[in-house]
Amino acid sequence: MTIKNPSASTADASQSVALTINGVAVNAHAGVTVVEAAWEGGVPRVTGVGCMEGVCGSCRIMLKRGKQVSVGLACQTFVENGAEVIFLPPASAPRHHYELNDFKDGWDIHERFQDIFPEAARCRHCHGCDVSCPKGIKVEEGVAQAAAGRFRDAGETFFECVMCELCDGACPELIAPAHVGLFSRRVTAHFHLRPPNLIHRLEELRQDKDKPGMTREEKDE
Amino acid sequence: MSNGIPLTEALARYRSDAELGPLPEPVDVEALLNTYHPDHLRDSVVKLTVGANAGDSCQRELAALLQAEAFIDEADLAGTPVTDVDVLVIGGGGAGCAAALMAAEKGARVLLATKLRLGDSNTVMAEGGIQAAIEPDDSVQRHIQDTLRGGHHAGDPALVSAMAEDGPEVLRWLIQQGMQFEQTTGGDLHTRRAGGMSTPRLVHCRDYTGLEMMRVLREAVIQHRSIEVWEQSPVVELLSNETGQKCVGAVLTSLLDDRLRIVRTRSVILATGGLGRLHLNGFPTSNHLGATGDGLVLAYRIGASLCELDSFQYHPTGLLHPSHLAGKLVTEGVRAAGALLVNALGERFIDELQPRDVVCAAILRECSEGRGIRVDEQRVGVWLDTPRLERAQPGLLEKQFPNLMTRTRIAGVDPRAQPLLIHPTLHYQNGGVVIDVNGATTVPGLYAVGEVSGGIHGRNRLMGNALLDIISFGRRAGAAATSNRDRGPKKVTLEHVNRLRRELTIAGMPMTQRSPQVLPDYAAGGAWDR
Repeated sequence: MTIKNPSASTADASQSVALTINGVAVNAHAGVTVVEAAWEGGVPRVTGVGCMEGVCGSCRIMLKRGKQVSVGLACQTFVENGAEVIFLPPASAPRHHYELNDFKDGWDIHERFQDIFPEAARCRHCHGCDVSCPKGIKVEEGVAQAAAGRFRDAGETFFECVMCELCDGACPELIAPAHVGLFSRRVTAHFHLRPPNLIHRLEELRQDKDKPGMTREEKDE
Repeated sequence: MSNGIPLTEALARYRSDAELGPLPEPVDVEALLNTYHPDHLRDSVVKLTVGANAGDSCQRELAALLQAEAFIDEADLAGTPVTDVDVLVIGGGGAGCAAALMAAEKGARVLLATKLRLGDSNTVMAEGGIQAAIEPDDSVQRHIQDTLRGGHHAGDPALVSAMAEDGPEVLRWLIQQGMQFEQTTGGDLHTRRAGGMSTPRLVHCRDYTGLEMMRVLREAVIQHRSIEVWEQSPVVELLSNETGQKCVGAVLTSLLDDRLRIVRTRSVILATGGLGRLHLNGFPTSNHLGATGDGLVLAYRIGASLCELDSFQYHPTGLLHPSHLAGKLVTEGVRAAGALLVNALGERFIDELQPRDVVCAAILRECSEGRGIRVDEQRVGVWLDTPRLERAQPGLLEKQFPNLMTRTRIAGVDPRAQPLLIHPTLHYQNGGVVIDVNGATTVPGLYAVGEVSGGIHGRNRLMGNALLDIISFGRRAGAAATSNRDRGPKKVTLEHVNRLRRELTIAGMPMTQRSPQVLPDYAAGGAWDR
């Protein structure tokens, strides 16, 4: 989850915040993110950082405040007194394998899905994925939509997914919700996105190629 | 910069329904650029002394890295484990993934090595969209003309033609990979017109076009049987044959265990992206953490020609505030949708859809002539008038720019109620490694695609041509790299490193600095032990 930073616009930079990052005690200016605090504090080996604007999903952290433990993205999390932050290792290799080119058409896609992601039908509604998502995606609902064969809806539910795969780590059934979401989006485009304006232009270009005598300028006129 | 109107005063003065005067008369664009664009700052540019571009102009901080000492020499190669592959792709952004997928489709065994995580790239942050001439009143020819004109006619027409012609096919390929785009009610791909375009040509997926592209390509790469991925594995040097004339592999290190690894291959494809994290001329940057220009350094050391090394794109609308997002972009799509730029006096000062370099220079002019909004001694900017856009088209920001809304919401800023304070930010490397239409560099065995390559965008890139460039040339290089069917390298050497070292010594250059940079100094903290 993301901590709101109510003082971002007025943060008093002279104020100091004490926390630990990967076990290293760090004093940071108020209003900075955990990534900035790790750099300022010289915390070694913080390489799981990418875009610093919350869209690449790399800077996965576990955050402990008092007895409350949560996960999130370091570039979207602001420093807090007493917080303990651990940068999580990269997610392990995916366990579900498919290539879109292996699919013949869209008719058997539901069957294929059940072969590839058999766990998706076994969701026990523990909400672990929902709680872990730094983007507030209704992950559980998306998985249910995919399991019911409603891939367009499922893909839309996962629209803001940044592939941090924190939901994958939170799922006791090993459903890999992030990959379920991406599968849903990909098959929707692969089988159903057929835009007339693009198809028309591709056809024009194909015919152009067959008529080598005519230059493009002449055709434009 | 101490001039400008203080933030509180400017905010009090600002009104989203204020009557805006007419635009001032268009100024002399050349004079505006020459006076205010950061490329023309005094002392920004030096002449290169050694290498393929000796005598050419080059941005000062980049020149220091191009003419620096390598990290390794022959002694480091002894006993280093060797991996053999058909094609090595260096870089895990959109260009690298497209190249890897195409090479794998052609039957090659591909290794994709990336410095950070697969997908950590500038691609993922591209919000605006991808250009392709698909509308009935548009044509490939118009796309070519707009691109050349936007680049001040410094681009290579052969490269621009190749890219523009690929446009529609690139969209089809992306859809096949599973990428979604915004559609009209009739099912057409929705297009927008943005800076420098003579007609709507920007295809997009709300304001997450790059994220949608990257997560789809990333998944396609991960799932592909013939592609192996090494993450956290920066390249520290390329490898050459006995004569130092051909690229035959690379030496990689690991940010996790610091161990060197040799990769031997027939073809290397550089897809390492740009260099915003070098913070040229002290500017903030929109770029991701790994954008340190490593590919330029590696290519130059092995003898490849570069071009337009003194031309960089400063995106007009980088956020000035809140500070943790400093330098991060507000997509040009917001201006394309109708948002205006307004100075502290509440006046428009430039046609917002001029090419980026012109708009950037105009903003810097406003700031330097006292018509900016001042946050503190260092930070001065102008308004991006989002509340006026919201008044004109209620709900548009929430519907079309969810990314912008999410990012600002976390910081407690609502662009619908308060204008955004913006300032130009270092965004894109216009030039780069010289390539042909197959992405081949002047060094046999070495290809370069995406931002690391040059010659396409001239001296200024148009919005939406970067995402097209990376897929178009990524696919071209991926296919071309597999056509090399020789038996592979007999011997791998660092002959090219020795050659540059000799040149540097003869020229009496200091060899105190080492390159590539790998990570910015402020982030290196023990991760990358030099």
